[in-house]
Amino acid sequence: METNILYTHKELVEQSKLGDRNSQYKLYELYVDAMYNVSLRMVRIKEDAEDIVQDSFVEAFNKLDSFKYESTFGSWLKRIIINKSINHLKKRKILATPIEDQMYRIKAEENEEEAPQMEIKKVIKGIRLLPAGYQQIINLYLIEGYDHIEIGEILNISSSTSKSQYHRAKKKLIEIVKTL
Amino acid sequence: MDNFEKNIRDNKALFDVHKADKSKLWANIEPRLESPKQKVKTIRLWNTPVFKVAATIIIALGVFTLINTRLNNNSEQNNFASQELSDIDMHYKALVAYQVKLVKNNTQLSFEEKEAFLLFMDELDDEYEVLKEELQKDLDSERVLEAIVINYKKRIELIENLLNQINSSKKMESDDVYML
Repeated sequence: METNILYTHKELVEQSKLGDRNSQYKLYELYVDAMYNVSLRMVRIKEDAEDIVQDSFVEAFNKLDSFKYESTFGSWLKRIIINKSINHLKKRKILATPIEDQMYRIKAEENEEEAPQMEIKKVIKGIRLLPAGYQQIINLYLIEGYDHIEIGEILNISSSTSKSQYHRAKKKLIEIVKTL
Repeated sequence: MDNFEKNIRDNKALFDVHKADKSKLWANIEPRLESPKQKVKTIRLWNTPVFKVAATIIIALGVFTLINTRLNNNSEQNNFASQELSDIDMHYKALVAYQVKLVKNNTQLSFEEKEAFLLFMDELDDEYEVLKEELQKDLDSERVLEAIVINYKKRIELIENLLNQINSSKKMESDDVYML
């Protein structure tokens, strides 16, 4: 079944590789909203997210030959969006995840209490109130679904740093949501 | 994964709250996409019969020219060598013929002595013929020509020796007469 998932929209992808504009537009239509939301969650500014989405689709279609179905087209495209968003944040000097006394934090987090289920709308609002570094890691782990190894690659940090940063971010998020 | 995380992951779709302005973004994307790949028809020139014939002709011409140049070089060398040879011949043949005539006409030599001498001269003649052939084979024209000259010189030396012998015996004879 995994193979079937990897080959989602294979026909459209193959036609797009040949430069077929209709197929490219159909793929764009299928993914643009999701990609726009991904980028907007990362960079927070509408115009910046639009620029990133445009650049990412252009890059994706122009180098589609390098897409070999090792992942789904959606996750391949999302990775382009994420990378461009991170680069954008770096340029804007909105640096990812501050690193501070992480060893101590990891130990502290092991005794963490289990967090309760919370209303999604409040969570969305709470994420927006987090510091930029925490927002990124919460988005990447909880919403985009990357694991800590992947997040380490994306943010150019170690996976243990990603883990400790995530736990701190989550703790902070829960605190904020509770107040809403 | 605790309930907090599970709840968020299960409701991921709810986080995509924004809609992209599809047509606006596409209008910016489309002009930057590479135009559809034109299937380039490759004509393999070296596979066409005309090319094969042409190549054969060119190769044949090349080989012919190469051989021709070599032959010309050889014949030039031969021309030079035979020019040299005829010069040598002209000089020495006349000299040898004159002296052989002197020996033949000499009345004081016995028939056997003349025979022995002429036999030796014939041997040198044979050697000369061999050298001449070698010269045509273009072995090492300079050395062969040298050998030919040596061959001639030997003959002349031989004749001179013989004539000297005759002359000295004549002298002795006349001395004897005087003494008598």
